[in-house]
Amino acid sequence: MHIRNGRTSLDLHVFAQRQGPTLLLLHGLQGSSADWTDAANVWPGSVYALDFSGHGASDWLVGGGYTPELLLADADAALEHTGKAAVVGAGLGSYIALLLAGARADDVVAALLLPGAGLFGAGGNPTFEAELPRFLVDASLPNHPRQHAAADHATVGAPRAPHDPLVPILDAFVRPPYYAEGFAHAARKLLLLEDDAPRPPWWQAAMRSPAAERIRGDVAAALERLAATLKAG
Amino acid sequence: MLSVAVTEPHFPGVVPHERTSIVESFGVPLNLLEWGDPHAAPLLLCHGMWDHARSFALLAPFLAKRHRVLALDARGHGDSGWADAYSWIMDVLDIVTVIRWIGRPVALIGHSKAGSQVVDAARNLPDAVTRVVNIDGFGPPPFGEADLPSPKRCGEYLDNRRRLTARLEWRPYRSLDDLIDRRRAQNPRLSRDWLRYFLFHGAREDADGWRWKVDPLAQSGFGPWQPEWMAPQFAALPVPLLAIVGSEQDTWGPLPNPLRAQRLAGVRQLHEHTIDGAGHFVQIERPAETAEVIREFVG
Repeated sequence: MHIRNGRTSLDLHVFAQRQGPTLLLLHGLQGSSADWTDAANVWPGSVYALDFSGHGASDWLVGGGYTPELLLADADAALEHTGKAAVVGAGLGSYIALLLAGARADDVVAALLLPGAGLFGAGGNPTFEAELPRFLVDASLPNHPRQHAAADHATVGAPRAPHDPLVPILDAFVRPPYYAEGFAHAARKLLLLEDDAPRPPWWQAAMRSPAAERIRGDVAAALERLAATLKAG
Repeated sequence: MLSVAVTEPHFPGVVPHERTSIVESFGVPLNLLEWGDPHAAPLLLCHGMWDHARSFALLAPFLAKRHRVLALDARGHGDSGWADAYSWIMDVLDIVTVIRWIGRPVALIGHSKAGSQVVDAARNLPDAVTRVVNIDGFGPPPFGEADLPSPKRCGEYLDNRRRLTARLEWRPYRSLDDLIDRRRAQNPRLSRDWLRYFLFHGAREDADGWRWKVDPLAQSGFGPWQPEWMAPQFAALPVPLLAIVGSEQDTWGPLPNPLRAQRLAGVRQLHEHTIDGAGHFVQIERPAETAEVIREFVG
């Protein structure tokens, strides 16, 4: 189904509709709702999966302009449709899930944060030695295909690329720990899936919230733990 | 209700632009107004939030005596196209796109928010930018504890996004005078006569009345940015910087001198000038003097 954020049409996939707590799934950078095909099987309620702007079947943004807060507004548009929900995010989606859990604490009953693509962003502190991403400065060249909005649709019958080539810009945004910590403190419940791989500063800051709980295991086990947490709560 | 057609107001000192160009940037058509010899050394002028290229309509004729003067309508503003989303980084990239289109080294002049954006553009294209002029674009005062980004403020941002999504157009104003009243309430130093000219080009009339040309989605975003990030950003600028402010307090500036000095402390080649008798919009209140200072700086 289609929902809207601003002028952008987004695909919100309905994986399951049944009685029970609602689940909203947020994919990682350069991913899509197709990354979650197994989730519907284990969840005891309705399951929705969003394609962020520039990803999956959702619109690409005319002019680019992807920011984490824009994707947060995408997720909020989905939440407006689903109503109260538990939110699960992977990679970049986990950062968005954290922000949503803090900004919409009345409607996000719990958030499960998973590793995945786009987990780190540009780190915790702004550095001005690091310039704009080189690929973007190069994309401003006049003959770059992304200079022309309809580039991906121009060839009739050609398959559309899985995501807008500009979405890696989302990795260029700093995620200061203090910012994440504020959202984590406002959230009702956070489960953060840990493994032996490093986690970024924003994640470690979120762990300091009294609402946060560290868990281990695979994604299926994490979802079961989330469902159990909601049942107990 | 149809109003009597309003003819283009004149304002003394405004010289009509000589050329227009459209430059496509990531699919958004950007409008450029030009004055002066097209073969002369180029100056690219970038306006601030909610404004448009004619913010420089009094300054440009003075600069055009010796330069090719290009004034950009930012995406979502003036006669440029609308994007689906707005961000600082894309505004800077639009300026980069235009610099590449100009195709030869350029001096950048930015007013207010664009004063900082041209600094970022110059840092990313150091070989294509000769000098930067920042007119009163040194950021807001430091955020207090209560102003820091917070989940609550973010919730308000999201509520605003939902409202915008539900209604994607400005409410119409009955007349151009109503728009002038609105804008003058924010910027009392700007005369009604100036605003009549400026807003005639910053709005359009339809069957319901007058609406701003600026995209309703081009509102301030939300994020972790803080004014403390500005000083290292300015310090990394590799070319000379001229910082201009007006002597008079105005709605959006200037910052107290010690704060501005702090933000500019690391700039390697800093020139400063205060325009007497002007507030935030020195290029409108004192265009001749502003042009002289800029000409002396860019050579």
